[in-house]
Amino acid sequence: MLTLLSSMPNSTLPAFNNEWLWLGNLGHSFVVISFIATLLFSYFYFQDARSENSTLKKWARNFLYLHSFSVVSVFSILFAIIFFHRYEFFYAWRHSSNALPVYYMISCFWEGQEGSFLLWIFWNSIIALILRRTAGKWESPVIAIIGLGQIALGSMLLGFHWGDLKIGSSPFDLLRDVRPEFLNIPILGSIGVENYLQVFKDGNGLNKLLQNYWMVIHPPTLFLGFALAIVPFAYSVAALWKRESRSWIHPAIIWSIACVGILGAGIIMGGFWAYESLSFGGYWAWDPVENASLLPWLIMTSALHMLLISKNTGRHLFTSHLLTQISFWLVLYATFLTRSGILGEASVHSFTDLGLSGQLLLFLFGFIGLSTVVAFVDSKNRLQFTAALMVFFAAVVLTSYIIPASIKENYTLFIKYLGIGLFVIVLGLYLRNLYKSQKTNLPDEHLLSREFWIFLGSLFIILSLVQVFSATSIPVFNKLFGFKNAVPQAQDYNNIQLWMAMPIMLLMSVGQYFRYKETQWSDLLRDIKWPLLVSVVVFGLLTWGFEIEGFQFILFLFFGVLLSGLNFAFLFRKRKNQVLRWGASISHFGFGVLLIGVLVSSVNKNVLSKSQDGINLAPEQDQSGKIDEKGIQFNRENQILYQGEPVDLIGYKAVYMGSKKGIHYDSLDEFFTVSFISTKNPKDSFKLVPKTQNNPQMGLLAEPSTKHYLHKDVFTHVNYQSGMDKVEPFSSFKLDTLYVGQEGVSSSGKCIYRLKGIEKASRTNGLALRLEVEVERLNEKEIIHPEILINEQTGGLESLPVQLDKLGFFMTINSFDIQDPDPSKQKIAFVVQTGEKTPVKNYIVVKVIEFPWINLVWFGTIIMVIGFAFAIIDRILAQKRVMA
Amino acid sequence: MKPLQIALIVIAGLGVASVVSLYGNTTKYVSFQEADKLHTENPNKSYHIACKLNKAKPIVYDAQKDANHLEFTAVDSLNFEKKVIFLQPKPQDLERTETIVIIGKSQGDYFLAETILSKCPSKYEDAPVKQASLVN
Repeated sequence: MLTLLSSMPNSTLPAFNNEWLWLGNLGHSFVVISFIATLLFSYFYFQDARSENSTLKKWARNFLYLHSFSVVSVFSILFAIIFFHRYEFFYAWRHSSNALPVYYMISCFWEGQEGSFLLWIFWNSIIALILRRTAGKWESPVIAIIGLGQIALGSMLLGFHWGDLKIGSSPFDLLRDVRPEFLNIPILGSIGVENYLQVFKDGNGLNKLLQNYWMVIHPPTLFLGFALAIVPFAYSVAALWKRESRSWIHPAIIWSIACVGILGAGIIMGGFWAYESLSFGGYWAWDPVENASLLPWLIMTSALHMLLISKNTGRHLFTSHLLTQISFWLVLYATFLTRSGILGEASVHSFTDLGLSGQLLLFLFGFIGLSTVVAFVDSKNRLQFTAALMVFFAAVVLTSYIIPASIKENYTLFIKYLGIGLFVIVLGLYLRNLYKSQKTNLPDEHLLSREFWIFLGSLFIILSLVQVFSATSIPVFNKLFGFKNAVPQAQDYNNIQLWMAMPIMLLMSVGQYFRYKETQWSDLLRDIKWPLLVSVVVFGLLTWGFEIEGFQFILFLFFGVLLSGLNFAFLFRKRKNQVLRWGASISHFGFGVLLIGVLVSSVNKNVLSKSQDGINLAPEQDQSGKIDEKGIQFNRENQILYQGEPVDLIGYKAVYMGSKKGIHYDSLDEFFTVSFISTKNPKDSFKLVPKTQNNPQMGLLAEPSTKHYLHKDVFTHVNYQSGMDKVEPFSSFKLDTLYVGQEGVSSSGKCIYRLKGIEKASRTNGLALRLEVEVERLNEKEIIHPEILINEQTGGLESLPVQLDKLGFFMTINSFDIQDPDPSKQKIAFVVQTGEKTPVKNYIVVKVIEFPWINLVWFGTIIMVIGFAFAIIDRILAQKRVMA
Repeated sequence: MKPLQIALIVIAGLGVASVVSLYGNTTKYVSFQEADKLHTENPNKSYHIACKLNKAKPIVYDAQKDANHLEFTAVDSLNFEKKVIFLQPKPQDLERTETIVIIGKSQGDYFLAETILSKCPSKYEDAPVKQASLVN
């Protein structure tokens, strides 16, 4: 431990002033302590699980407490570094700035990878503490396995460098270590390098897009969902390890429900964030990073339903184990996808690659290996297999050091294909052994049984997963096999997932009406008849009300209504007096509402700012491939709004009123006020304030603004603004002499100007003559005030010119000549220079979109989460009853 | 055969079909000349082209003339140049981009882009030194 501490990168070079090195060293010490405590509690729990021993368990618990305490300390110290603006630490400099409000300081944690891993570790330690109190006889094996996950995650924060080998990346690295070149900037020559902190007084700031309140709660929720996925995995592995048959299922169900509910809520919160602060106009874009969070959710949902079947009928233990374990593999795979930089071009999200992809892959394969080891029933086989894996791994590592450079490339290729082959064999072994140990000899299930239809539904979820998985993994396969496949676009997913959702929705609607083991036709018909009829009527009304067109969308709506309708009715027909058992129906109902909302808001999404003006590109093709010889301007979805000039959009009249800059931490932001008035109902009017930020690192960022109605949203964002045009210089200069009351024209004759009056104005350094000049171009008139100043100190003349972009006019006073000393006659001649350019008008280019019934998406999500809460409470109470 | 097995086989078949159709429909990155050729074969399909912006040629976008019309010249990986038209406002960081991926259809003398994916090197990266705040 001492050698570990002394190898800390922070403890070098004490010669710099005002650094709080002790804080970083403290933080890093806690990282190391928490890591060592993880190793210890895992080891003691592991030993206790093998040979129950109360002393071992006591030590395991103590180290678990030490671990949790250290994790909280690391968390607090990292926050302190950000809070006190200690920019000697790279993390604070890179991810925060002085102007950042406290509530966004939390968001700094998840902008960087180290903070994200820390958050995950934090949740895992909380989960371990809960399990320590509630898991009973499962405490030791389950927490031992969670400890393995903590070891993997904890090592991501160690930040050890050993030659080429890099283990983890520390959040307490120093700025001058990570960016040594900063110490060479010229200004440090004069104040001395040791005082570099006098220069680095502000940080690089938090990504503007993360400065949104949803970004304060979306990542923690998502990471809690991710973290929860390890618990069912741990139960499944522990059950195989300890050769337990079914007792693991009930607790695994509780944790799976929590995982599905929280992960689902986290995903949708991410969607809400995207909708509120990104300008792609929607909440879901099938972006690889979104998909990466969807994959574990889909399979965890499928696993949860298999677990329910296994618990109630004893069937499908193999599938329950398999899906539960793959859920966690996919969490690791998703982490690899989003954290390794492999998605590169494919994603609008971007994550800096910390060079840890090797480490992430190692964990993924490590946990697949763990699953495979415990799938062997025989202890001897487990040992042999583990040894074989270790030998293979050691051989690969060793040979890669001694292999001559000349054949290195071929050797790497050989290892790659050997690895792929081996991976397939390991998976095969895993499946075979798991199947052999978990198969049941029960008679076939009845066709009219609940287990049959839930099983089918789970399979359809897997089917949907297979498509998302293979499409999202295209960059991985490209890298692995040298393919050059392009990344799929959103419609590639939508076109397939639309159909794949339908059987799932159908089975979700009817599944509960079947009983376990066997259902009588007559019972089924009796229960389902009325709900079905009502649903069909509601479906008819909604198709008409929502104005849905297109066969596939109408069909989708049908299944959506069926899903909501049948589950809603189920509450009252079958669960009238069992409120606690409402969970499944409520969450299914909510999911149906969510899907209806998704359908209506995306199919009937309406761009209100369609434009028919502009350059004709005949013949032109629209997005569906239809060719128009005359070249109608389809695809034109943006409108230009000149300040103060109303423009007709579809259903609204819009006026750009003006813009203003932010004053505080948002001083880079520009806010544009656009007022909307409905053309049908003049009382229906509102103002939207989309904004842009001219970000020095990221270019111009646009943040949309949305008017929420109950039944629709009007969404707008600025795509371009007049300030972004190249500035045209003034030209056609002309000299002229002006008297009061006299008129002049610019060189092209487009601008007419009149000197209306002169006044004296005292300025700090002298007396000025301030002119009042009226400028006219076409029919527009403006008053300008050029000045000429007689400097008291130098006696010279200084001109204060005026440029009037709006009319494209420029005037400066070169000199003046008092021709009549009698001030009452005011006969002063001014020699002025004028210039011209094309008039510049303030404008913005906006896109305005109407999303009908988008509130159903959020509303459905809330209902779904409530359903999950019911389900968890019901099952925790059931467990308490059993234990009591 | 048991109903469960039939269901398994049907769903497995659908799974294979969905993956096959996915890879069948997935386009590869192509060059401008390939996109020309492929367009005559299948005029409804969009292709991906990884290219660079030719910064020596003008980037034409005049919002007052047409807010939905951007023109620029791109060079593909085979150093072939082509005019690209994009019927949307100019992406905000276009000038700073190194490589872009354009998705769209060849239209003879120009390429009509439906989507432009741009990644500029500075995006999400650190400014080497944040000058303004540094010097005061």
